[in-house]
Amino acid sequence: MTLRTGVWHGAGTATYGAHMTVIEVAGAHKSYRRRGKAPEKALDGLDLVVATGGVHGFLGPNGSGKTTTIRILLGLVRADAGELRLLGQPVPQALPQVIGGVGALVETPLFFPAFSGRLNLRLLADTAGVTATRVEECLELVGLRDRADDRFRGYSLGMKQRLGIAAALLKSPRLLVLDEPSNGLDPAGIREVRELVRRLGSDGSTTVFLSSHLLAEIEQVRDAVSILARGRCVATGPVSQVLAGGAAGDLRVRVPDQRRAAHALTAAGFTVSEVDGALQVHGADDPADVVRALVAQDLYLTELSPVTADLESVFLDLTRQQP
Amino acid sequence: MTTDLAPPTGPYGAAAASRRPSLARAEVRRITSRRFVRVLLLVALAGYALFVGIAAATEFGRTTPDQVAAAEGRLDEAVAQQERARQLCLADPGRPRDVPPEQVCGPETPAGAFRVSDFLDRQPFVLADQLPDGAAGAAGVTAVLAFLLGATYVGAEWSSRAMVALLFWEPRRVRVMAVKLGVLVAGAALLAVVAQLLWWGTAAVMASRLGTTGPLPSGFYPDLLGRQGRAVVLTVLTSLLGFGLSNLVRNTGAALGVGFLWLAFVENVVRSLRPSWQQWLLSDNAAALMSDGAYRIQLPDSGGGRGRELALSNLHGGLVLGGVAAVIVGVGVLLFARRDLH
Ligand SMILES: Nc1ncnc2c1ncn2[C@@H]1O[C@H](COP(=O)(O)OP(=O)(O)OP(=O)(O)O)[C@@H](O)[C@H]1O
Ligand SMILES: [Mg+2]
Repeated sequence: MTLRTGVWHGAGTATYGAHMTVIEVAGAHKSYRRRGKAPEKALDGLDLVVATGGVHGFLGPNGSGKTTTIRILLGLVRADAGELRLLGQPVPQALPQVIGGVGALVETPLFFPAFSGRLNLRLLADTAGVTATRVEECLELVGLRDRADDRFRGYSLGMKQRLGIAAALLKSPRLLVLDEPSNGLDPAGIREVRELVRRLGSDGSTTVFLSSHLLAEIEQVRDAVSILARGRCVATGPVSQVLAGGAAGDLRVRVPDQRRAAHALTAAGFTVSEVDGALQVHGADDPADVVRALVAQDLYLTELSPVTADLESVFLDLTRQQP
Repeated sequence: MTTDLAPPTGPYGAAAASRRPSLARAEVRRITSRRFVRVLLLVALAGYALFVGIAAATEFGRTTPDQVAAAEGRLDEAVAQQERARQLCLADPGRPRDVPPEQVCGPETPAGAFRVSDFLDRQPFVLADQLPDGAAGAAGVTAVLAFLLGATYVGAEWSSRAMVALLFWEPRRVRVMAVKLGVLVAGAALLAVVAQLLWWGTAAVMASRLGTTGPLPSGFYPDLLGRQGRAVVLTVLTSLLGFGLSNLVRNTGAALGVGFLWLAFVENVVRSLRPSWQQWLLSDNAAALMSDGAYRIQLPDSGGGRGRELALSNLHGGLVLGGVAAVIVGVGVLLFARRDLH
């Protein structure tokens, strides 16, 4: 008995074998040459694995190399070194075979300004052998149907972005790469994109690779996350796992006399810092130890709670502490 | 047992890919949807109609025997008047005596100095003369149009960066370029053929209404077809020059500027400073490609004796233009294939 999963006939021509990852990057380096200056290191030994299914957040501060990574994966930019795979196939060599399964929006959408949104999509549809019906579906999906006959030039920033997302969806891709998709969208638009991404991520056939420097964007939709800093991946894995590597295990303590409490806790061997008017205690294996140390000094707690790490603090931690 | 997962029917319904992908179809749609292209072709067509209309209304016309007789009368009158003026001059007592009278008053008016046609308001449209001349003219017009079309075709792709977006759909860059070039060459050839047929039809109608369709010299049609074929070649080559230039500088306006500067300035400077280099100039080679028989360039006297003469064949013209186009297009495609794109 052979059991093949993940076989899909995409874009008319390509057939993909079974594989569990949609993106694999190993040791990718990329420097941009600059006139009269040392080359700019955009990627510095990036390793990245994105498993099939769900939404994978790709998080990093400005200039950390997110867009560069995506450009290299899509064959727009050549890596100086490193091995890359898309949908299990080596790229850029096998790009022509896999591109039918990959939809992408990289930074700003690139369309012909004098053509309508619909015509712009039709041109791409011709290229990929996508039906006119699918074009209409995608326009509907991003809420651009009413304005589809207007020129792209006349679109607002958010509408342009929506058209870019529609174009990325045209191929019904197995891997949807979105680089800062919420750029320029209003709150309602951001929520729509978020919901769209979530829906796509849970439909069982699409993996969304969502790059952003905005935590809020990723926090709400992600299943897994990779955090990028200075061209390197500093943390990766399921969100819960990444969070556990951060501030998890800390305790928040409130007492009337904070200075004495801080002394007492430090004396007892804990690391203490003041956060938002409360004490944050690090290195306590058991909350009872903290209570005991304070009570011994006649200090009574008004609050003792575990600090749940949020992605933001982990993100700031990880991207800051890099050399 | 084999379990194939059904192809995803797209996140929200219909199967996405069910037509044959065709880069060429997309390119044809792209170029024909461009407003600039449509306007350019419409303006060209309107200009042509206007030109033909004016020519038909004012230049050409079949002549009646009466008109010919009247013109002959005017011719005789002109000859007589000239002769009278000469006689007056010869009889003038103040005429310098040491100079031969011919130099002062001119020679006796020779027979055939004037032609009857010069005294007709309208000429008959003679197919044998007008059709080949017009074919060359049409070649010039389509060559310029094709240059503009080629330049704007790829220039607009670069300035909108739609060229980069296209690579998300077809990552084989050389293929992307090859398809664009194929569509352009086919379009330019079509343009030239249509223009030549249009002129042929126009000329046939004008000859039958306003002149004469015969007699045609022997070898008329082979010569005409040869010239029209070369018109197609010229148009295709200039479209490639426009495309190649625009692809190199990645901007339509800059490409047109460079093209204009080259033809209007650089080539003229070369022509006056280094006359023998004319055999490599684009304008001369375009003329050589279109000329019947060799295209002759008189070189100025370079010290003693008669000046030399350059004779450029059709083949020479075609090869030089083709070589320049190949280099410009080739370098652009090579850079496109290798460079990082952002
Ligand atoms: N075309 C280019 N030429 C030179 N340097 C570049 C180029 N593109 C990117 N870089 C440099 O490479 C580094 C990574 O840039 P990249 O665009 O990948 O960052 P990013 O993570 O996408 O940032 P952002 O969140 O701002 O989009 C930056 O230092 C940037 O200056
Ligand atoms: Mg970016």
